[in-house]
Amino acid sequence: MTELLLFNVTNGLIIGAFYVLMALGLSLILNLSGVINFAHGGFLALGGYIAFTMQPFIGFWGALLLAPVLVAVLGLLLERTMIRRLYGRDPLYSLLLTFGLAFILQDFTRYVWGANGLPFTVPAFLAAPISDQLFFVTWYRLFMVAVVAIAVGGLFLFLRYTRTGVRIRAGTLDLETVSVLGVNVGGLRAYNFALGIFLAGLAGVLASGQLSLVPNMGDSLLMPSFVAIIVGGVGSLPGTLLGGLLIGLASGLVTLFWPSAADAVIYVIMAIVLLLRPRGLLGEEGMLG
Amino acid sequence: MAPAARMRLLKLAVIWVVLLTAPYWSAPIGGYPALCSRVVILGMAAMAFNLLLGFTGIMSFGHAAFFGLGAYGAGLALKFATSSTILAIIAGVLLGTIAGALLGALVVRRRGVYFAMVTIAFGQIFYFIAFRWNTLTGGDDGLRGFARQPVGIGRWLLDIQHNDILFYDFVLVVLAVVAGLMGLLLQSPFGRTLLAIRENERRARFLGIAVDLHIWLAFVASCLFVACAGALYACLNNFADPTLFNYNMSGTIVIMAVLGGFRAFWGPMLGAAVFVVMQDYLSSMMQNWMWAVGLIFMAVVLFFPRGILGVLRRRASA
Amino acid sequence: MTFLAIRALRKQFGSLVAVNNVSMEVAAGECRAIIGPNGAGKTTFFNMISGYFRPSAGEIELDGQPITQLSVRGRVARGMARTFQITEVFPELSVRENLRIAAEVQQGLSLRPWVGRAARARVEAAIEASMARAGLVEKADRLVGELAHGDQRAVEIATALALQPRLLLLDEPTAGMGEQETYQVAALIRRLHRDHALTIVLIEHDMRVVFNLADRISVLDQGRLLAEGTPQQIADDPAVQAAYLGDAE
Repeated sequence: MTELLLFNVTNGLIIGAFYVLMALGLSLILNLSGVINFAHGGFLALGGYIAFTMQPFIGFWGALLLAPVLVAVLGLLLERTMIRRLYGRDPLYSLLLTFGLAFILQDFTRYVWGANGLPFTVPAFLAAPISDQLFFVTWYRLFMVAVVAIAVGGLFLFLRYTRTGVRIRAGTLDLETVSVLGVNVGGLRAYNFALGIFLAGLAGVLASGQLSLVPNMGDSLLMPSFVAIIVGGVGSLPGTLLGGLLIGLASGLVTLFWPSAADAVIYVIMAIVLLLRPRGLLGEEGMLG
Repeated sequence: MAPAARMRLLKLAVIWVVLLTAPYWSAPIGGYPALCSRVVILGMAAMAFNLLLGFTGIMSFGHAAFFGLGAYGAGLALKFATSSTILAIIAGVLLGTIAGALLGALVVRRRGVYFAMVTIAFGQIFYFIAFRWNTLTGGDDGLRGFARQPVGIGRWLLDIQHNDILFYDFVLVVLAVVAGLMGLLLQSPFGRTLLAIRENERRARFLGIAVDLHIWLAFVASCLFVACAGALYACLNNFADPTLFNYNMSGTIVIMAVLGGFRAFWGPMLGAAVFVVMQDYLSSMMQNWMWAVGLIFMAVVLFFPRGILGVLRRRASA
Repeated sequence: MTFLAIRALRKQFGSLVAVNNVSMEVAAGECRAIIGPNGAGKTTFFNMISGYFRPSAGEIELDGQPITQLSVRGRVARGMARTFQITEVFPELSVRENLRIAAEVQQGLSLRPWVGRAARARVEAAIEASMARAGLVEKADRLVGELAHGDQRAVEIATALALQPRLLLLDEPTAGMGEQETYQVAALIRRLHRDHALTIVLIEHDMRVVFNLADRISVLDQGRLLAEGTPQQIADDPAVQAAYLGDAE
């Protein structure tokens, strides 16, 4: 029983870590640009597939580093050519645009790499379990959690201590003032968008070693990421972090007791949070309506 | 009669003549009665959704939930409880409306992107319920084993079950009721208050309007009519499956409204016609066609943000 | 007789005290102007009276009844109406429809799915009366978003009046207007004040408008009440001259 419990808790934390990476990227873009990026799952899958293709040439580590960067560059291009035009318009339009983009990204990956799952191999020492008792915990799982922790830690340090990071945070609170102070808001949003997509790409590479590599692999992560943001409080990145871990853990635990409700439990949590704390756990009054 | 009113009556007459004769004039260009029914039903859903987007200024991205509930409600009723198509539709409408009232109460204080996001997320609950509750809903395979039944009116029995054109006419009768009710609602003081909220929520609030209550009522009304469309959809296909609840369905409802023109009452119906016909054509042409639908979404956003009727109106006034 | 009484009102945003211990009494039928340099806390003060913000401390009474805890709706129901610094109207509706919405709210019809003939006639009469008062009859069927700024302001004021308020709050009614429009709007306010004995509180930067309209003037500076009195007293007050009139104009 303890083992089963432990198994589900680690499972929950790992899935929570994916939610966190996805949701932080979505949150960054939502907070600064008011765009709900429906194509986020598409970028995630693309990250995994690009890593898959590059791995034979530059190895696992090279792919882990480079694939997210390439996805971020693609994100940047799309932001500069299309999404940028929609800032300041009804959020309806950016939602519909990224919705369409999600379809296109998914069919594109299907066209290039095929609809069937592909094997993504991780280095042998990562694929081994950490001990006989804990046979269900591979080193790769620990490694994933470590990478996510480093990425999240890096993101928060970046937002706290670099000039661009501080501007992104300031812009989230009061974009008008930031632009009056002479900051190039367009550039800031582009940069921030690429950063969010980078996180999606990173999540994609990590997920490929754990889940199977299929064109719609991002779909099952997108909705929980929305829920994570809402539970944590729209406008608050620490809230998103907390929300992601919370719902990951909750669905891991519920799997143990009532497997068929595991998907639904996160929505129950969301409903309870909205009832008791309409702004989300760490959300503040007045942010984004 | 004032010229404006006469113009409106004329437009309405044209719309209904086109709708009534659709199975006949569309046949030579590849249309068929079931396709016509699909257009009208999805158009009804988009018009109902548009009560919120176009006439209250609220963006709900989770209307698939209520469409799906209408469909499952009607399907389950036909399968287990009743042999009356009309009672089944009422059951679907009730299910969708009750769910809309409950969820609406949770989301009604949110605005803008936040409202969109919460409605998207909540819509998924029903997807999982339909997917997981195998014994009742048939799970992933969908709900089968029911069929719409002939409708009796007085001494007559209309065999909408086997005659597709009769079923189409039945759908039009429901549309007439739904559109009539929505039209009355929008022209009432209540509807004008919704317009006030769309135009300027702050001003509306400082006029002493109970904004949240009005939005909630509009949400419930919208869910009611969407559920009605969903119930008809189940009757059309004699089938319902979990994809009806998916956010892709919500997106489809939204894009139909925007494509046709969401500032016009009948715009979403036009959008549905264009979208459904294009989709029907694309899916017959190629195996992977979602990317093309994606292109339609993007083209609408970038080139026709006010929809087909929006473009026509601008032409007319220029 | 005091109509609007404000006692020791205070608003704090974090460590910033925007309004500090301001008390004020406005008599029924009075036109009171609130002036002060930018950042003096005038709009924050207004927002507390109209229910946009909850005060951090202090009391507000309207016609002898405490309203500090009331919602915006509750205050409107007790006869308060306001306009905003940036004109707030329903831009894609006609003048008539803008006023119709206000009239229907005032007559408690906003939730009705239908109205009877008598109620409709009452609404029509209210619309016509509001348009006549604000001089908008010729523009009845124009979209408000297409009107000139001064006319939009007149629509906003007329909308507020359609609520049949007993207290009208005007936040910088002539902000951003040219000579002609400022004159028009000031004349409208004067007419309302004179003909309908409406109690008016207004924030205004244009001193000609203030001295022309106000019965009494309150001067805010850095969140505090600096001075209060008739226009003449204020003009002669050395503290006011130092703090405000001297450096601002």
